[in-house]
Amino acid sequence: MSDAMERWSNDQVALVDLIDRVIGGGVVISGDVVIGIAGVDLVYLGLRLVLAPAHEVEESVALRRRSA
Amino acid sequence: MLLYAVVPPDATAPDGKGLASPRLETIRSALAAMIVEECPDRLHGTNEESRTFAEILCRLATTTPLLPIRFPTMLTTRSAVLAELQANETGWSKRLAELRGLSEVVIRAKWPDPNGELDAASRRSGTSYLESRAAALRRGDASIAEISELVRDWARDLKVLPSQQGIRIACLVADADIPLLRDAVLGWQQVGDHGQVVVGGPWPPFSFVVDQEAESA
Repeated sequence: MSDAMERWSNDQVALVDLIDRVIGGGVVISGDVVIGIAGVDLVYLGLRLVLAPAHEVEESVALRRRSA
Repeated sequence: MLLYAVVPPDATAPDGKGLASPRLETIRSALAAMIVEECPDRLHGTNEESRTFAEILCRLATTTPLLPIRFPTMLTTRSAVLAELQANETGWSKRLAELRGLSEVVIRAKWPDPNGELDAASRRSGTSYLESRAAALRRGDASIAEISELVRDWARDLKVLPSQQGIRIACLVADADIPLLRDAVLGWQQVGDHGQVVVGGPWPPFSFVVDQEAESA
């Protein structure tokens, strides 16, 4: 592979890693949701919103199953 | 509102466009601030959006310490952003101070066509496939151990990231040490059969926004 091709390939790999970190790393914001009807609060949900690349979620689920 | 990053309370949003609007804004509490963008439309989460978001964050990281927020996180109102800031500002402020002057680099080592080797082995026999798979895992573990040892002098923290091909290690490194770490890793690549090795970064500390040791203690 020529130097230019190798640099281009490495840049692409690094870009993929950067995008992976943007959607798989970082601060996870937690939130609370109250579901109500006609102004009456019925259900309270404490939420932890987690967005992650599919392969990380699959790995986490597999780990949990193994430890259960 | 689309959330970009937690920053110190005296930081300001950089000039330039956001993903969907002409400018970014800063919402402040006493101990921390958040860089946000008024973003009325639903985002599609495309590669292009992720890339633009990453570029904005990387630019911002050259001007201030920051904790990146996972993309795409949105809150509906300014008051919701402020409430989130006020609820977490003590922890975020402490972590921002700990991460000042540190960046993330990701080291990836990838061997030529590992799936091709596995396919060929699986055609021979089940045992052959399992042996080939075990050899690939051992090679990955050995590389992780070697790289961890190699970067020990510069990496303040390490995290092995999930990877479909080869291995990936995120390192938290002082900005001044990044060239030394990069040279050491690329030198390591040249002296052995380590496949394609790429050192990505410096980037904001995506993998280190939480102090894992403190959290698990």
